[in-house]
Amino acid sequence: MIYTILYGFTIGAILYFISIGLSLTFGTMRVINFAHSLTYTLGVYMLLTFLSLFGGRFIMAGIFAVIMVILVSYLIERFIIRKLYGESVDYTFIATFAVTLIGIDSIKWIWGVQPHPLSDPLGIYMNLGGFTFPFYRVLIVLIAILLFFALEFFFKKTIVGKIVVAALEDEEGVRCLGVKVHEYFSLVFVLGSALAALGGVFYAPIGAIDPYMGLSILLLAFAVVIVGGMGNLRGTFVSSFSLGMVMSVTARYWSQGAETMVFIVMAIVLIFKPIDI
Amino acid sequence: MKKHITTNPDRLTGILAGIKKSPLNWRECFDFLAVGGGFLLLVPILSAHRVTDFMIFCIFAMSFDLMYGYMGRLSFGHLLFLGTGAYTCGLFIKYINGNPFTAILVGIAAAGVLSIIIGPIIVRTTGACFSLINLAFNYVGFFLVLSPLKTITNGEDGFGVHATSVAFLNPGSKIIMYFFVLFCLLLAFYFLKRLTSSPFGILLRSIKENESRVNFLGYNTFVYKWITFILAGSIAGLAGTLTALNYNYINPNVMDVYSNVGVVFACLIGGAGSLYGVIVGGVVYMLISNFLPIYIQRWEMFLGIAMLLIIFRFRMGIWGYVVGYFEKKKITQRPIEEAVRR
Repeated sequence: MIYTILYGFTIGAILYFISIGLSLTFGTMRVINFAHSLTYTLGVYMLLTFLSLFGGRFIMAGIFAVIMVILVSYLIERFIIRKLYGESVDYTFIATFAVTLIGIDSIKWIWGVQPHPLSDPLGIYMNLGGFTFPFYRVLIVLIAILLFFALEFFFKKTIVGKIVVAALEDEEGVRCLGVKVHEYFSLVFVLGSALAALGGVFYAPIGAIDPYMGLSILLLAFAVVIVGGMGNLRGTFVSSFSLGMVMSVTARYWSQGAETMVFIVMAIVLIFKPIDI
Repeated sequence: MKKHITTNPDRLTGILAGIKKSPLNWRECFDFLAVGGGFLLLVPILSAHRVTDFMIFCIFAMSFDLMYGYMGRLSFGHLLFLGTGAYTCGLFIKYINGNPFTAILVGIAAAGVLSIIIGPIIVRTTGACFSLINLAFNYVGFFLVLSPLKTITNGEDGFGVHATSVAFLNPGSKIIMYFFVLFCLLLAFYFLKRLTSSPFGILLRSIKENESRVNFLGYNTFVYKWITFILAGSIAGLAGTLTALNYNYINPNVMDVYSNVGVVFACLIGGAGSLYGVIVGGVVYMLISNFLPIYIQRWEMFLGIAMLLIIFRFRMGIWGYVVGYFEKKKITQRPIEEAVRR
C-alpha cells in the first residue's frame, strides 16, 4: 500500500508539471494548446540526445533539454499562436494539432520509432520503516511541491506574476492600463511548455519512451485541468495529486484501467459541475 | 435557481416536422445525380473497391460536418462512433447472426445509444473543451476494445467479419458492395440535405453563430445539440458498419485516436458547413492519403503542413472557393438579399 501511495504521488507530481502549463495557457489566452504533448515528448528526446552528449550527466542534460524546448515553444508561440489571437478557438486547436503532427513526425525521423529504455539516474534507495523505495520518486514529489510554492510566490509577489493573474481575471482591463498583455502571455506559454518538458525529463527514467507518449499524458493533464478548474492554480495542484492517487489505486486492482478511471472521474465531475467553456 | 428555459414540445415537434415537408423537387434530383454520377465517374479512374472506401469515408465526413460545419462543435473523437458501429456490427455477425441487414441496424443503434449516453456530458461544453472530451472518450473506447474486452474482440489482431449473403446483398462481391454503399451514401446525403435545409438546420447554424441568442429566443439549445449529436453519432455508426462489411475484417485501428485528424482535414480542405464541400474534401483527402504515401515517406508531416496552410491561407476550402467564384459572378445580377440568404 505504501508503494501505491508513493506511486500515486509520483504520477500526481508529473501530472502537475504538465497540466500547470495547460491550465495557464487556457486561463490567459483562451487557447487549448495541443502542442503541449509535443513539447513534453520533445523534452524527453532532447534529454536522450544530451545524455549521450554529456556522457550520462543527468542534471546537465535535463537543463539543456529544457532550454531547447523553450526555444522551440517560443517559435511555436511566435509564428503560430500569436497569429491566431482573437480567432475561433477551433482554429488554434487545429493549428496546434498540426504542429504536433509535424513535430512527432520529425521526432520519428530524427530519433526513430523504436522505444528507448532509460535507467534510474540516481540509483539510490531509501529505507524507511522496513520499506525500500527509489529516492528518485520521492525527489520528484518534493520538486513538484517546491514548484507549487515557487509558482505561488511568482504569481503573488512578483510584478510579472501579478500582471498575469490580473490578465486571468480581466484581460481588457489590464490592456487598458497600458500593459502589453500579449508579451506576458507568450512568457506564460513558454513557461508552461518548459514545465511540460521538465515533467517529461522527470518521467523519462520511469516510463517508456516512444514518439506517441505525449498524447495519453496530454489527455490526462486535460482531465486534471477540467477537474481542477481552468486557470485555477491551486485547483490544478490539488486535482493533479488526487487524480494521480486515483490512477495508482486503480492500477493496484485493475492494472489496465488506470487511465480509464481518470476519464470516468472527469465525466462525473463534468456532470455535476457547471462549466461555461 | 429556477430554470427559465424549458422545452416547448410544440416547438420541438414543429421544427422536426419541418424536415418532412416539401416533396422531392428538381433541385434535389439534381443533387442526387451530381453526387451519384460523380462517384460513378470515379470508378473507371480508380477501382470499384477503392471508390467504395472513399464513399464510406464521405458518409463519415458528412456526419462529422453536421457537428462541425453546421453546429460549430469541433469533435476530435468522432471515430469513436464509427468504431462502435463497426465493432457492434462485427461482433453481431460473429456471435449471433450473419444477416448483414440486421447487423447494420444493430450497429447504428449501438452508436446511437452510445451518443445518447455520453451526449449530455459532452454537449454542454464548447470549443476546444468539446474536442478534447471527445478525444478522451475515443481514447477510452480504443483502450476498451484493445485490452479489457480482448476475449471477445481479439485485441490488437482484430477478427474477421463473414456475413452471409441475404437477398441481393452479398458482402463478398465488390460490385454489389459498391452499389450498396452508394445507396447508403445517397440516403445519408438526402437525409442530411433535408435536415440542414429545414428549420432545424437553420437553428443549428444559429447555435453556431451565437448560442445565447438562440437561448433568449426561447429554444432549449441543449436538446437540439443533443439531438444533433445523436444523429451525427448514428450516421458515423452507419459508416462503421459499412467499413466492417466492406473489409470483412476489423481491428482497433478503425478507431485510432490519431486518425481523427483525417476527417478534420477533409472537412477543412473541402469547406466546412456544406455537404458538397465535405464530399469533395473527403474524396480529396482519400486521394491524398491513398496515393501520396507511395511517393513521400513523411506523410504525417505533409498533413500537418497542409493543415497549417489551410488554417492560415485557405479557410474557405475548395468548395467555398468554387461557390465564391460563382457567387461573385451572380452577385451583380441578383438582389443582395438573395445572395445573403444562400
